[in-house]
Amino acid sequence: MKRGSKSGLIRGTVLVVTVVCFGPSALGVDYIKDVRPLLEANCFGCHGADEQKAGLRLDSGVAALRGSENGKVIVSGNSDQSLLVKALRGTTEDLPRMPLKRRPLTDVQIETISRWIDEGASYPANEAEILRNAKRSHWAFIAPTPATLPETVNRSWPRNEIDYFVLAKLEENGLTPSPRADRVTLVRRVYLDLIGLPPSIEQVDAFVADKREDAYERLVEELLQSRHYGEKWARHWLDVARYADSNGYSIDGARSIWPYRDWVIQAMNGNMPFDEFSRQQLAGDLYPKATEMQRVATGFHRNTQINQEGGIDKEQFRVDSVVDRVNTTGVVWLGLTIGCAQCHDHKFDPIFQKEYYQMFAFFNNADEPNLELSNRWKTSGTRKAKTMVMKERAKPRETHLFVKGDFTRLGERVWPQTPAVLHPFPEGQNRTRLDLANWLFDRDNPLTARVTVNRLWQRYFGKGLVETENDFGTQGSPPSHPRLLDWLAVEFQQGGWRLKEMHRLLVTSATYRQASNVRSELAEKDPNNLLLGRQSRHRLDAEIIRDVALATSGLLSPKMGGPGVYPLQPGGVMNLGQQRKTWRPSQGEDRYRRGMYTFFWRATPNPSLSVFDAPDAFSSCTRRVRSNTPLQALTLLNDPSFLELAIGLGRRLIADTDESDADRLTRAFRLCVARAPDQGELARLQEFLVDMRESYGRSPAEAAAFVQDTKMKEEEAIELAAWVSLARTVLNLDETISRQ
Amino acid sequence: MNQLNNHETTARSQFFLREGTRRHFFSNCGLGIGSIALARLLSERGLGATPELILDNPQAPKPPHHPAKAKNVIFMFMAGGPSQLELFEHKPELNRLSGKTIPESYVKGKRFAFMNSSFKDQRTLLGSRRSFTRRGQSGMWVSGLFPHTSTIVDDVTFVRTCVTDVFNHAPAKLFMNTGSAQFGRPSMGAWVTYGIGSEADNLPGFVVLQSGPRGPRGGAVNWASGFLPTTYQGVSLRGNGEPILNLSNPAGVTPERQRSAIDTIRDLNLKRLVATGDQEISTRISAYEMAYKMQSSAPELIDISNESQVTKDLYGIKGDEPSYARNCLLARRLVQRGSRFVQLYHTNWDSHGGPGENLQGDFEKVCHDVDQASAALVKDLKAHGLLDDTLVIWGGEFGRTPMGESRVTTGRNHHIDAFTMWFAGGGVKQGAIVGKTDELGFEAVEDRAHVHDLHATILHLLGLNHLDLTFRFQGRDFRLTDVSGDVIEKMIA
Repeated sequence: MKRGSKSGLIRGTVLVVTVVCFGPSALGVDYIKDVRPLLEANCFGCHGADEQKAGLRLDSGVAALRGSENGKVIVSGNSDQSLLVKALRGTTEDLPRMPLKRRPLTDVQIETISRWIDEGASYPANEAEILRNAKRSHWAFIAPTPATLPETVNRSWPRNEIDYFVLAKLEENGLTPSPRADRVTLVRRVYLDLIGLPPSIEQVDAFVADKREDAYERLVEELLQSRHYGEKWARHWLDVARYADSNGYSIDGARSIWPYRDWVIQAMNGNMPFDEFSRQQLAGDLYPKATEMQRVATGFHRNTQINQEGGIDKEQFRVDSVVDRVNTTGVVWLGLTIGCAQCHDHKFDPIFQKEYYQMFAFFNNADEPNLELSNRWKTSGTRKAKTMVMKERAKPRETHLFVKGDFTRLGERVWPQTPAVLHPFPEGQNRTRLDLANWLFDRDNPLTARVTVNRLWQRYFGKGLVETENDFGTQGSPPSHPRLLDWLAVEFQQGGWRLKEMHRLLVTSATYRQASNVRSELAEKDPNNLLLGRQSRHRLDAEIIRDVALATSGLLSPKMGGPGVYPLQPGGVMNLGQQRKTWRPSQGEDRYRRGMYTFFWRATPNPSLSVFDAPDAFSSCTRRVRSNTPLQALTLLNDPSFLELAIGLGRRLIADTDESDADRLTRAFRLCVARAPDQGELARLQEFLVDMRESYGRSPAEAAAFVQDTKMKEEEAIELAAWVSLARTVLNLDETISRQ
Repeated sequence: MNQLNNHETTARSQFFLREGTRRHFFSNCGLGIGSIALARLLSERGLGATPELILDNPQAPKPPHHPAKAKNVIFMFMAGGPSQLELFEHKPELNRLSGKTIPESYVKGKRFAFMNSSFKDQRTLLGSRRSFTRRGQSGMWVSGLFPHTSTIVDDVTFVRTCVTDVFNHAPAKLFMNTGSAQFGRPSMGAWVTYGIGSEADNLPGFVVLQSGPRGPRGGAVNWASGFLPTTYQGVSLRGNGEPILNLSNPAGVTPERQRSAIDTIRDLNLKRLVATGDQEISTRISAYEMAYKMQSSAPELIDISNESQVTKDLYGIKGDEPSYARNCLLARRLVQRGSRFVQLYHTNWDSHGGPGENLQGDFEKVCHDVDQASAALVKDLKAHGLLDDTLVIWGGEFGRTPMGESRVTTGRNHHIDAFTMWFAGGGVKQGAIVGKTDELGFEAVEDRAHVHDLHATILHLLGLNHLDLTFRFQGRDFRLTDVSGDVIEKMIA
């Protein structure tokens, strides 16, 4: 209706078509298509399943015709006599205008309802069934089938299957793909995407010089084997796992769960199949003779918050963490907002409140112990490392539905079961978390493979093929390339759930290798780049921004894993929380570890991470916001940790005394953005360098203060200060913190 | 229309190129730019040239849904939950029944904090020791602990029947700030700056100031932007020293050197903008400009040396120490400079009884901390002609029980069924009382004002319809008032 009237207003020619499609047609008003959605949007809140003001329910035809406690509200065949219409119009003195205190319906909407009544107010007898089936036939609830490759006019552009799907859509819309990104752009892009570190100048040069046909494929192989690959892709998983190093809520005490983080890195590097990877995290403790590693993996669902405040109702917060586990599982593996069914039946998707608590029952039987780990986890001293794990209780808890989601109001008793809209849970089987995990990887599951490949896609192209990456339900956006999504999902499933294979497929496609520059015909026809006629250009994630500065400065520590570390941060951060904590900067190499190892306090996170949108770890984060703020500018310009790295880069630049200014400027630029500066850029940087040299030349004391070295000779300090200024500037460029 | 846009755009890009225009700089883009329109050039490439694309300021003022009565908000958040029974609720019947057990009909089915451990001892009614006097034309009862607040009653609407859903500090603070006890929702200040932007072009639109012995529970989540872009999150500004993290230049970087660095960054970014057509680069350029402006405007803001002694005395500011009084004055200065939403947090109002939390000396102290300055802010805003445009809010995350709680001394537990908040300026009635509680002060008997209703009302005064201020996230249109909320007409002038 809305679409119809809107486009009709704008373009008269479309009017006829849209009215037929979306408005009540000459054939009569259809209750299911035309009337019920209006009642659902405006009336169900007070006259639906949850509440029946004046005893009136409007959420089914039969109930609507039954009327309220005061009598009928619909007189079949006579809308003028129907109280419902009068109330909507506000023309009766018996009732205030409906919906009460809400915006009135439009004349067109009221007319639709009136016509339905005048035409006899008929509704199908099997209304409930029709509704259920309509929702069940939603694309995402039907398992993907292998798609055949579409025909394309251009046969030379595609490099692998992905490209056929993308190109076919572009051609359909009269568009062409963008040219291939130049080699320098491409090498920096694929380094940042696969391992989260920028290539060194030597690595850039080596790739540019490699004239072999498969030079790029070789590079991709090398990066997939890099141990930094595991770090980069573990961090994405830690976002959805809501990983943090503290308990959250107001007290926010420290916790030890870093072994779980390290487990994720190792699993990624070992290319553990995604089904096994998931099973161990959801139910590693339930494996027969579970190993220590399998138990560590269950830390996934220990990443819930713990309230240490006095006077709390412990059961309330235990229930809250089970709720979090159910919702997180729903979002992460099913891409469904099943959390919406906690208090009432899901408003949009066919998930009932009872089914929510049936899922809840799977997670309701765990204890939450700390596990003392074997010596191989020991990091220093004699103390053994600990981590937080799940452990199934011998005696299961009883699970009840909570009325309106209130845990003090127990409803009917329920047992573990999965939502009926999805593939069936095997009969006669146990119903533990392990069985649930196995069910997720059933061949008939329509969602898990799609949801997972869509998230991979999103990391490479800025957004997913399904833009609502956390909602594949009926309210989510439909896929831009449904056949491509299904092809990828089937490929992933049938290929044994191997992530590295999927990464390889994605980054070696011609689609991935395109330039990201905006082209005018694309800007006009496809401003949001839904058709993928170019690559996306976007700001790097918070941790990677730090990693780029670390790598550029030459200070990056290659050390992997272990407890969280404490890089420099500005004073005054830690007293923003309720309980003041100390932040003692790490010494030695721990001060220069990758951003993902920075100790993460939920209540007072490291500001240089949160300012660049690192997730708050309160709930699962499937896509980070990419904000662009003045506080980010202040961070890159003035934060002590970034300044320290700028000083590192400055020192690195002047270490080779034989170089000219131009050589060094070029090197600084290339270290940060891979490409060489053009003449204009070089001249501008030179001008700034000279300016700084003169400026510090006039005040050597300020030079020494800036480079944080008072023992240097005066002229050396001045020279270094000029180069640190230059380094700081280049580290602040948009291009340095972006991936093109 | 188009012509106008291009004209405006030209002016804006000249702003960037004005200082030290470098004709040669863009030459090898084949562009030969002087001070000519960068906009035209982007336009010729088909990259769009509307002003918002060229210089995208996400906090630029936006029109409200309907004419606004208030332009700004100052929310004095009394963290910990002040006792309405010691301040605003005069209940002779409670005093008469003091020491008796509360009738079962009041507490049946209710839940309280600490109920597992000590609730069994918490059914004895506790009368108030405080004296109350009727004040102003509304005849509002105000306790002797608030002599200054007593003097502004005729400017204030008191709402005595505020109701919230949750009874622990951190979730209740979240509820009052975000309309949800769950973490991850945007706070009111974020919603408001998202909805109508900010008039301040050199300070953040949403600012938080804190005072008291400790930070508010939950910390920064109380002023987070949730799923809204982080540009709308509250910036916690400290009242002395360095007001914003990383605001000062590093040692050895003068303002001139900083300017020179930012100019260089801008020029290189601008060139990249032309090369890639990525409008995020223009946002980044304006973010650096704002950062630079904040470096001088934020210290200027917190430097109150040019305020008169009379003004400082009005607030009760003593010396340079950070204090609630000082923050109140800073709130006025922020509103003067165009900030949209200022939130002050003062701890600790938690009055369970026992050391640091007793209803005698400790409570008197925290009352004394805030009374004079809260009243002074209303008077000072009025004197500056700012009160009509500024909605001032005073209150905490919940109130206290009519029953006593026995710890080392007797205090009061958290209470969610009725507590008092007050509102002044910005389109609320001058000298009014909304809501009435039962004779023990346990529950509303008239005009229950749920947090969602308060939020709907605050947005309404700002010209925003709470039903229309939405943001789509996880497949749902979220709003500050969740799925309910009605504007409280009785509060509105």
